[in-house]
Amino acid sequence: MKTLLAIREREYEWVNQTFPSIHPLLLPICNKPFTEFLIDFAILAGSTEVRLLSDGPLAEVKEYCENGSRWGVQLSYATLQADDSLKDLLDKNRRFCGEDRIMIISGFCFINYDKQRGYASIMSQMPAGTCVSCPGGSIILAGNQETLSRNPPEIPLSLLPLDEIGSYFRISMETLENGSARYVLPGYGNEPECAIGRNVIISKTAEIIKPVSIGNNVQILSGAIIGPACIIGSNVIIDKESSVKKGVILDNTYIGEHLEVKGRIASGNMLIDPRSSASIAMEDPHLLSGIKAAGKSGTAGRKTVHAIAAAILITMQLIPFLLLFPLLKLQGRWCSGTTTCHADSSGKTFTLPTAEITGNSPAGSLAAAISLDRLPLLLRVIIGQLTIIGSSPIPASGETGDKPSAKSGYRPAVFSYAEAEDWPVNSSDAAIVERYYTIHSTPLNDIGLTMKALLNKLYEHNAA
Amino acid sequence: MNFLLDTSNGLTIGIAELGGRLDSQNSPTLQKVFNSWLQQTRFLVFDCSGLDFIDSSGLGAIVGCLRKTLEREGELKLAGLNAKVAMVFELTQAERLFSIFANTGDAVTSFSVVPDSKN
Repeated sequence: MKTLLAIREREYEWVNQTFPSIHPLLLPICNKPFTEFLIDFAILAGSTEVRLLSDGPLAEVKEYCENGSRWGVQLSYATLQADDSLKDLLDKNRRFCGEDRIMIISGFCFINYDKQRGYASIMSQMPAGTCVSCPGGSIILAGNQETLSRNPPEIPLSLLPLDEIGSYFRISMETLENGSARYVLPGYGNEPECAIGRNVIISKTAEIIKPVSIGNNVQILSGAIIGPACIIGSNVIIDKESSVKKGVILDNTYIGEHLEVKGRIASGNMLIDPRSSASIAMEDPHLLSGIKAAGKSGTAGRKTVHAIAAAILITMQLIPFLLLFPLLKLQGRWCSGTTTCHADSSGKTFTLPTAEITGNSPAGSLAAAISLDRLPLLLRVIIGQLTIIGSSPIPASGETGDKPSAKSGYRPAVFSYAEAEDWPVNSSDAAIVERYYTIHSTPLNDIGLTMKALLNKLYEHNAA
Repeated sequence: MNFLLDTSNGLTIGIAELGGRLDSQNSPTLQKVFNSWLQQTRFLVFDCSGLDFIDSSGLGAIVGCLRKTLEREGELKLAGLNAKVAMVFELTQAERLFSIFANTGDAVTSFSVVPDSKN
């Protein structure tokens, strides 16, 4: 079976107005983007190929979902016209549909399914036609039954329209309270109804009351009370003594000290009452404010600070380099080369010079201790190709040739944050440290962390 | 900011209409005029039905007014908060400090239960 997901811009227009910074098709429901629920259901129903059709922009969705390999399906994208009928959709996507059975999920609706039910078998016995519908959406099957059955079974699912902020809040809360058994939800937890993402810092004096879902890169400071019934997105800070009860805090939000968010949705500096749809944009950054996502802000300032720091380091390393490089080169202990690495998460690559100091000579140890092997890379900081500290450059080929995720905040650098914190650089744990600092570190922090990385290398080689 | 005195229930109650925005620009004005209102009566109602926006400065000004009123053993009540302004009071937990009524009439009526008035 194949699935067509047909969602028209007019159906999700309210999301654009309410949450301008969130693509409606990536609207998080219990920290999982809306489209992922549809893809999950399509897979449960036995689909191997899914096509997302919309008359709105899809670039951000494509960047997030890519080709669907993450879910083990082939995901493709196409446009539709707002007034296309079911027949139009099938005609326009004839090549995709082929002779297969097609499930058309239409409308901006939430599918209330249960991952433990055998939808593939149920769907194969269903005759063509509408399986389930709700105001503004439907699931329709086209093509012949795959398994003949006299009495088609009841489909254990329902559709819930996502047509306004109230329904969004209700669905989010229901998913949080009953969803851990029904859906695949993000986060880890050693007990039910409590899912916590990566890089979450919870103060010893903070209180977490189930059910809760907490995203990645979250700080919950002292005395804060989270829950019951609370969804905290990613890149969120809940400051001291604040409480969030039966609320949704969307990504990139700061909740100030001594505040109470009860039955509300907070997104950036917006506070929304889901019952009345009233919203207010806070102008006080100490109350409620947006947190800029990693890699989107301060790029020019960071580049300038990094370039200045790189220039100072180059000046400091120049004389030792001029003295030690010819000696090491003559001894054959300085091996230089190049490697192709990912420049960013878009798939672009660049070639970087590499230098390795081999052997155990005093000159070699001294050169390694003062990081002379990084000098060729420092020049790349001046021209803005690298940052002085950030992520370890990921090779574009070989075993670790995977493209960095768009969400990882990948910023190739001369020194990595993991080196500064003395984490094993090649361990996957290093990714957590790097992710933390790409979000939280300021350009000035970066200078301090660079010094730390330099000192770690010095100490490491002295100890050796 | 209009201010009028209501004596319909036997007490002299000052009703101040707050409108538009109450933020760092105009909260000093409120604090200034409030002193003159407080000299006329110590029972006051802020009619917030025309108030569209309030920030922490405005909130601070209203809390300052409440403090001055309490120092004079008076009462300051709020009426007609719209959903947006109510959310700020709820978020900052300032709603716990005030008696908040749906409209000015209810707020004025609530004063009648005061058994002994000095004004």
